[in-house]
Amino acid sequence: MSLNRIINSKSFDIGKSLLAFNLRYNGKFVPHPPQYRCFRTQARSLAYAKDLFLGQINKAEVFPYPEIGNEELEELNQFVAPVEKFFNENVDSKKIDEDAKIPAETLDGLKELGLFGMQVPEEYGGLGLSNTMYARLGEITALDGSIAVTLAAHQAIGLKGILIAGTDAQKEKYLPKLASGEHVAAFCLTEPGSGSDAASVTTRATLSEDGTHYLLNGSKMWISNGGFADIMTVFAKTEVVDQEGVKKDKMTAFLVERAFGGITSGLPEDKMGIRGSNTCEVVYDNVPVPLENVIGEVGGGFKVAMNILNSGRFSMGSSGAGMMKKLIEMTAEYATTRKQFNKKLSEFGMIQEKFALMATNAFVMESMAYLTAGMMDRPGVPDCSLEAAIVKVFSSEGSWICVSEALQVLGGLGFTKNYAYERYLRDCRILLIFEGTNEILRMYIALTGMQYAGKILTGKIKEMKRGNLGMAVGMMGQKLRSSFGGTKDYGLTGKDGLVHPSLADSALKLEQNVYLFGSAVESVLYRYGKSIVDEQLVLKRVADVIINLFAMTAVLSRASRSISIGLRNHDHEVLLANTFCAEAFFKNNYMMTQLQKHAPENNDASIKKIAEQILEKRAYVCAHPLDRTF
Amino acid sequence: MKCARCLLRLQGLGSVVPSARPANRYAYLLQSTTGPVLTKPLVAFNSHGEASRHFHGSSAWAKSSPPPSDLKEKEKEIDKSLLSRDELFERVARDAKTKAAFDKAIEAFTKRDRRRRGHVEFIYAALQKMVEFGVERDLAVYNRLLDVFPKEVFVPRNFIQRMFNHYPRQQECAVQLLEQMENHGIMPNVDTKVLLVQTFGEKSHPMRKYQRLMYWFPRFKHVNPFPVPRLLPSDPVDLARLGLTRIANDLDAKVTVYQMPYTDITETGEEITLPHIVGTQSPDQVELLAKHDPSRPVFVEGPFPLWLRNVCVYYYVLRADPLPPGEKVEEPYDPERSLYYPLQLSLELERDMGDLGDAFDVEDLDEGPVFAMCMTGQGDQATLNQWISGLQEGNAVLGRVPTLFRLDAGPRELQSPAGESHRPHPPPETDPWVPGDEGGAGAARQEVDVTLEEEPQHSRGVKQ
Repeated sequence: MSLNRIINSKSFDIGKSLLAFNLRYNGKFVPHPPQYRCFRTQARSLAYAKDLFLGQINKAEVFPYPEIGNEELEELNQFVAPVEKFFNENVDSKKIDEDAKIPAETLDGLKELGLFGMQVPEEYGGLGLSNTMYARLGEITALDGSIAVTLAAHQAIGLKGILIAGTDAQKEKYLPKLASGEHVAAFCLTEPGSGSDAASVTTRATLSEDGTHYLLNGSKMWISNGGFADIMTVFAKTEVVDQEGVKKDKMTAFLVERAFGGITSGLPEDKMGIRGSNTCEVVYDNVPVPLENVIGEVGGGFKVAMNILNSGRFSMGSSGAGMMKKLIEMTAEYATTRKQFNKKLSEFGMIQEKFALMATNAFVMESMAYLTAGMMDRPGVPDCSLEAAIVKVFSSEGSWICVSEALQVLGGLGFTKNYAYERYLRDCRILLIFEGTNEILRMYIALTGMQYAGKILTGKIKEMKRGNLGMAVGMMGQKLRSSFGGTKDYGLTGKDGLVHPSLADSALKLEQNVYLFGSAVESVLYRYGKSIVDEQLVLKRVADVIINLFAMTAVLSRASRSISIGLRNHDHEVLLANTFCAEAFFKNNYMMTQLQKHAPENNDASIKKIAEQILEKRAYVCAHPLDRTF
Repeated sequence: MKCARCLLRLQGLGSVVPSARPANRYAYLLQSTTGPVLTKPLVAFNSHGEASRHFHGSSAWAKSSPPPSDLKEKEKEIDKSLLSRDELFERVARDAKTKAAFDKAIEAFTKRDRRRRGHVEFIYAALQKMVEFGVERDLAVYNRLLDVFPKEVFVPRNFIQRMFNHYPRQQECAVQLLEQMENHGIMPNVDTKVLLVQTFGEKSHPMRKYQRLMYWFPRFKHVNPFPVPRLLPSDPVDLARLGLTRIANDLDAKVTVYQMPYTDITETGEEITLPHIVGTQSPDQVELLAKHDPSRPVFVEGPFPLWLRNVCVYYYVLRADPLPPGEKVEEPYDPERSLYYPLQLSLELERDMGDLGDAFDVEDLDEGPVFAMCMTGQGDQATLNQWISGLQEGNAVLGRVPTLFRLDAGPRELQSPAGESHRPHPPPETDPWVPGDEGGAGAARQEVDVTLEEEPQHSRGVKQ
């Protein structure tokens, strides 16, 4: 996990502060130089979300809301302005969508702006942005789905391997050209028979007879930028001799240049959305890859792949928020001008509800994304993969719902190609699928937390199962207390509380939910033990609750900060935060009730049965309603 | 449809002229379709073959039903009186036993006498001849027979008539007719209802019988989730295909015809018959077989009977013994398998006792894998060997695995005592009635009957 540190080292080196500690709502600032961060003596490995599984709120991680220093902000704004201008003036999204190709001029423009090397350190010719700054630029690039995906495939996953695990020689050789956009990168992992199952990867790299290079054979599917990428991170099976002297096939990551020869790309796939991005099959036929092009260790490809995937997700929150903000503007314009029955659309309650939903979602996404980015930018070795996955799941689903609601406001007009909504809707659908489908990420979120909580709770649960009377009585008391709405004081509210008093109610709701969640996790572990991996519906609920809890935390933290420092329209933020928390509170309570044994709210058994019967017949089983028996 | 409309019109009439008696009666009838219906015990569905039956349910009938001894006498009487009625059918049957001929007989009877004297005897006779004429599954014929009853005569006109069993012979005859419909799985239609109402009134015993039929038949129509087609294919290959897909309930399973039946005459004038070989195997089975340890033998076992309606076919399986408990190898957990989430948790907590659920499942027993199945016209080792060699194309491992044939002598020697061709199927019998038209209880009962017949043959096969 030292990999994150390497990425973050830049922001670290130039000494920009991302955090202002000791921020309180009473406006009392503990003076400390904003340019230099506070170092901690011990390395932190814990992040926030994992502790929620234990019913704990790790306040120090999320309060106060992370911020960046003034200088950094200024620098960022200098980047943002030209990029925004470029996207407004030089990018014709409609044409990109129709032609299914990003014009060369547009790509050149993006390269000139340095957008191909946003996170590449400055010494290799990149912009050297921190995660927070990268997320900010992601808001703008998301205005065109095709461009966003092309850029993400290039740097969020394509060249990430070199950044994370590459040697200095590899960095020197490849990064400058990649950062400038002269070379485009791609990430080649998926195969026809292997989506998330690494065991079924069939691409092979065999050492040549003279031992100077590997020969790569196989084919990869759904490769973004696969048609024109010059540098590819390719994962292939190699034969590795382990400690006991047994030969085994293990995955290894390779840096493959198209110039090595033997690489052919298939025709670009004709996709539903993000049509301008290039996705195709890439076939490797005896491609010679020099030994020095192995990324990380031979046989260590699995770790590399996992780290690349885990680190690439957090920016989706800000991208979604960027898109939503633009959509809200466009839709509000329409709703306030269109009249029906001598009333503006905006006066109808059901239309208003849609705007509230869009704003809340955008607000939550943004809050979560920047909270996570800020956590990742902190020194130490923060493992924020869980938070990043949470951000990805929430924002992809939020975006999808909101785009659909925005389209709904326009009615039939939104359905036509005259407006951009249908394109946004199509583009946005991929968010739920790529970088790990939301289903798989929910499994990841829930199981990571369960593993963490399980390790700590094993002793206690075993003691309970053995029938320890004192323990059982304690448990009973705890259950009783929580059933009466009792909670633990986490120190979010009250005197010296971290949350502003105008959000105190919401903070209490969060506290109550977290407390209940802790005991829900405990009882789930008690009931299922390690067989919890097979209880996907239970895990889904656990994941949904934790997503809501993290979202509540993010909005509370952000809104508290906004009030405390007097940001513009902070009252609106408070409104959004309180609304979201109230809603999430009820949803969480409902889901946690469903997690209880014999809960009447829990329909899992029936749901499974329905699915089983349908899948057995592989068809809809009911007779037609018009059918007769006599 | 016409009848329904007529009924509706009558109902309308009833409301306009409330004093009109017949109209009132029809209005009642319409109510009775939605009113409470007497339920009948399930016995009705597996009591086919029972010659006559008492009424159930109605206490009014129980009072007036004749004692059993009476019934037998009555039957004898009927048999005697039938003789003259049978002639009618025999005369028409001289040309051809068809529906047209049957209709002609009915027509002849109705035209002969305006008062339809002896119609009860005629109907009993007709019911007995129906199978012979091949019209036992024809609803229109039943309706025509019901039409033989004179209308309105048997309808009770006052409460005393209604209380006592009004025209019991006629009522019982109509019930017998409905019973025969039931046994052949024929659902009455609205014409039947109109005829019954016209003949016996809306609260008569035949009407009750009709209501019970209409109550149960629709409910049992789809009671069998694995319906067998009513008409089985006559081609043995198609029949085998049907049977195999029925046993191997896997939509991925592929049925392969390894050999078509073929008869050739050699130069020496000898007749060579090649039996059909039809096999099925699913991709899962191919995978299981590929994983099979070549040092352990696989077995070809059979024949096992499979009943499809009234036809029995035999199948053979290729299977292996279950692995002894000590030798089961579980695939080791590879932590570097799933790129996104852990496939296992490293926890020491087991599932709680209260959440084990139905740990015991009858389908979970260790029986050893079945790799493939086949049906063939001739169950000797040579033929089955051909099947195995055909299987080898997709399952290379079969070339290395010792294959043992554990074949029962099976019933076929007894089926062909005179050295006829090897016919695994017993001669088809008359199609028994099966509820809801789809096999099920009827087929099951049939199976029991016939296996009983074959029991001695089987035991002889074992002794050999």
